[in-house]
Amino acid sequence: SQPLAGRQAAELQSKVVPSKQILHSDNMEMEPETMETKSVTDYFSKLHMGSLVYSCTSKRKSK
Amino acid sequence: RMEASCLELALEGERLCKAGDCRAGVSFFEAAVQVGTEDLKTLSAIYSQLGNAYFYLHEYAKALEYHHHDLTLARTIGDLLGEAKASGNLGNTLKVLGNFEEAIVCCQRHLDISRELNDKVGEARALYNLGNVYHSKGKNVASAGTHDPGELPDDVKNALQKAANYYEENLKIVTELGDRAAQGRAFGNLGNTHYLLGNFRSAVLAHEQRLLIAKEFGDRSAERRAYSNLGNAYIFLGEFETASEYYKRTLQLARQLKDRAVEAQACYSLGNTYTLLQDYEKAIDYHLKHLVIAQELNDKIGEGRACWSLGNAYTALGNHDQAMHFAERHLEISREVGDRSGELTARLNLSDLQMVLGLSYSTNNSMLSESHVVDNSLNGTRPRVGRRHSMENMELMKLTPEKVQNWN
Repeated sequence: SQPLAGRQAAELQSKVVPSKQILHSDNMEMEPETMETKSVTDYFSKLHMGSLVYSCTSKRKSK
Repeated sequence: RMEASCLELALEGERLCKAGDCRAGVSFFEAAVQVGTEDLKTLSAIYSQLGNAYFYLHEYAKALEYHHHDLTLARTIGDLLGEAKASGNLGNTLKVLGNFEEAIVCCQRHLDISRELNDKVGEARALYNLGNVYHSKGKNVASAGTHDPGELPDDVKNALQKAANYYEENLKIVTELGDRAAQGRAFGNLGNTHYLLGNFRSAVLAHEQRLLIAKEFGDRSAERRAYSNLGNAYIFLGEFETASEYYKRTLQLARQLKDRAVEAQACYSLGNTYTLLQDYEKAIDYHLKHLVIAQELNDKIGEGRACWSLGNAYTALGNHDQAMHFAERHLEISREVGDRSGELTARLNLSDLQMVLGLSYSTNNSMLSESHVVDNSLNGTRPRVGRRHSMENMELMKLTPEKVQNWN
């Protein structure tokens, strides 16, 4: 049965020679997402500007 | 008095998030919400930042909740730019959660408002986000089947083609704006979309552009990503030598960046590439390196894959004792992690080896016969069930540090 074992070994060896499809690892590297940002300081400064404008106009009105 | 303390808390939250400590930032933002404010724009900014912080922390249900609050608020106060931003963030979050249809509606709203406001930067960003949603949608449907790049059902192809179109549209605008960083991102994802569509030459061209821009910025993570993606594309072009060169650069950078998981992935890719080149000694060398790191990171699925690959490489060399050792280990690990198809593959390999070695191997016979009934294509095919989530999910894990840089 030595020739048989040899043939089996050869068959086995040929079985493991892979195709690129088999080895494709699904490891695709994506770029990061971009999130939209808001900041309290943006509105904070506007808020102050707003109240400043308000106080000026109300002062003017009261005159 | 109360207003000031809400603002103070929110400002501290912003500072912490910018410094990269989202977890602490969240506590301050939530405290700010607790204190409350009558200024709805400030509240909107807090909700938005809470949403983003939870997004970076991968707590997407919470991210969804806060971006939704932000959207409602922006609409209530008639803040159109704020509504566009909230829609975009909601869209990105829905995408990660796999709700692609709603994600598309949100990202489209971001796009429409940006165009209405003639906001070119916003328009470009919305186009990039839309590309990402269609890319994920296509990839998601594709991964449900057993398709390789280039062999896709029509709905997958349509989604990916749309993604490619959005990335192209984005590229037009960001090129006009001279925004190189945005160009880099678009080229990277466009390259990956072409790769999935089976346009490997186009994928190479896009990733080469990505590489160029990464080098311009000295962005080594992006450089490493480009090398890895170039390696993948060259594998499918059948140019294995070139692929191995790119994977080696990936490995080099992974080591410089001290990222063990990425290093392991590069070793695995190199092991596979040398298998394709039929240089089994080198393949074994890299698969062993991969195995060591997988064990170090306690990545059982990766370890199982390494054992399987090693078993195959040793079989190819005719070293059946070593092949048997790794096939046994593969079987053990597959059982441990409940990977049914891995288990069947291992049993098939073991029975083949057993025949060659002429040993009476103590394997459960009923299982063996069962495994032979299973379609032969299982043998050698990458197992679809229980794939290496550990390494493949790295993409998400890696997002955090890069995202934080984008915080501003």
